[in-house]
Amino acid sequence: MFFVSTGLALKDPGDDLRLEGPFLVTSGGQSPGALQFTVIAKMVNIDYTFERLVKVGEVDISKFKTFVVVVGASGKGLGAAGIDIDVEINRVVELAKLAKANDLKIVICNLEGVSRRGVSSDRIVTALAPFASVYFIKTDANEDGFFTELSKEAGVPLATFDVTVGLKDVLAEFVEKPN
Amino acid sequence: MRIRTVLLISLIFCCVAFGAFFRPDVRPGYGVTGIGWLSDYFTPFKGTNMDTPIYFMDSGVAGPTFLLMGGTHAREISSTTAALVFIENAIVTKGRVIVMPFSNISAVSIPDQMGSAPHFIMVETRSGPRFLAYGDRRTDPADQGEPDPVVFKHAQSDFTLNDGAEARNLNRQYPGLADGNSTQQLAYAIIEMIKAEKVDFNLDMHEAGTPDKYVDSSGNVRSGSSLAYTLVCHPDALEIGAVTIMEVEAFYGVSLKLEESNRAFRGLSHLEIRDATDSLSFLSETPNPGQDTWRENPDVMYDEAYPLKHRVALQLQIVLSLFNAYEMFMGETIEVIGVPTYDQMMREGLFEFLN
Repeated sequence: MFFVSTGLALKDPGDDLRLEGPFLVTSGGQSPGALQFTVIAKMVNIDYTFERLVKVGEVDISKFKTFVVVVGASGKGLGAAGIDIDVEINRVVELAKLAKANDLKIVICNLEGVSRRGVSSDRIVTALAPFASVYFIKTDANEDGFFTELSKEAGVPLATFDVTVGLKDVLAEFVEKPN
Repeated sequence: MRIRTVLLISLIFCCVAFGAFFRPDVRPGYGVTGIGWLSDYFTPFKGTNMDTPIYFMDSGVAGPTFLLMGGTHAREISSTTAALVFIENAIVTKGRVIVMPFSNISAVSIPDQMGSAPHFIMVETRSGPRFLAYGDRRTDPADQGEPDPVVFKHAQSDFTLNDGAEARNLNRQYPGLADGNSTQQLAYAIIEMIKAEKVDFNLDMHEAGTPDKYVDSSGNVRSGSSLAYTLVCHPDALEIGAVTIMEVEAFYGVSLKLEESNRAFRGLSHLEIRDATDSLSFLSETPNPGQDTWRENPDVMYDEAYPLKHRVALQLQIVLSLFNAYEMFMGETIEVIGVPTYDQMMREGLFEFLN
């Protein structure tokens, strides 16, 4: 299924993809975008655990149904964490492999727009692309069609939103509410 | 023309008459309930060019205390002007706001050493002509009390910068030193004030170069500043910052980048104030064409893409949205009337809000 939305008016994504909680949320690149994701997740009552530096071996992945990587390479963030971009890519790719093996849905998210497009951020996205179940992307990060191409190649949905808080509506559409 | 001349002469006379101490033009509105000085918290500054006025806006209704700082870098005039607009228009109806419009007043007292903007810029306000001061990034060397070192070293850590002049940059000195040079003492005095006044949260307003791409002298296309349109937050304040920027973007269409303080870069307000006090710290950056080294004749007032009106309106909207976000996480906040929203100032103009 291929699906693109613009801004807040989403079409029904259908039964092909429903995201279930609990979510495991991490950063891919250590920008504050992942924290912004959790603020919005709270607004729509998603059950999540946020671990910005979680590694394979430190998490019981079977407790989760969805794995979210909020991508945004930040020199400051990586520096503060004492890691470089290669270590960071390896960390999130290993987590994605584990998540895939455990049948979690994998969300690749750009929440900070074009300010988090660049060589390092794009390397993270490209490394994670084989594992993606869906892309949630701020519109101005996709002006060159980078995420459109990736979603087409993999045949997975792409949902876009014009303003950061628009992610709330995307999540509301994709996340299955508990009975 | 005659009025302008008289105003400028008066301004210069005031500086000379009062022992050459720079005293800025601030015209408080009804919301100001008290005026103090930084020397009230650090007496060695009394009667010096480092002492700066502080404006108290107390609602009399219990609530948090917020500190708004402009002029840490005196050439970043959206910060000083936004602080003036707040002082001259706001009525605080819950909690208390403290405004320090010219945090490094010594830097305001000298022209910008790195740019070409005039020291005083005349504007037509709602009550007639008036001058805005466009100062320097750093303390006047004459006030520092010692020459610049070859290499700047932060007093409380091993953090160094190769530019020794950064010893006169207030936003490299926090938490400051009581017995240090004048700029270290300034940071110390601000921390003392924050502690004494039990400031719950604070915003240090700044400007950076614009994000515009440009072609350098070798013909290469270069990226503009990545700092502008940013809200930097102490790690303890990051969620509040996240909600703040989402509100500014969703309701006013201006996208800001969220950044977390870098613990490896010492001496900055957004990191050190929170570490040294109970006050949650934030720092905002708007784009000032006057800080683009590549521009030949930057217009710091009326640039088509980055006019001062847009920059001041954004600073004030960040303040208002910060108040809203603070309530979401802390349960109560500052309530204020009279401060124009971003849209209102863009529609009605900046100088309509200056006395």
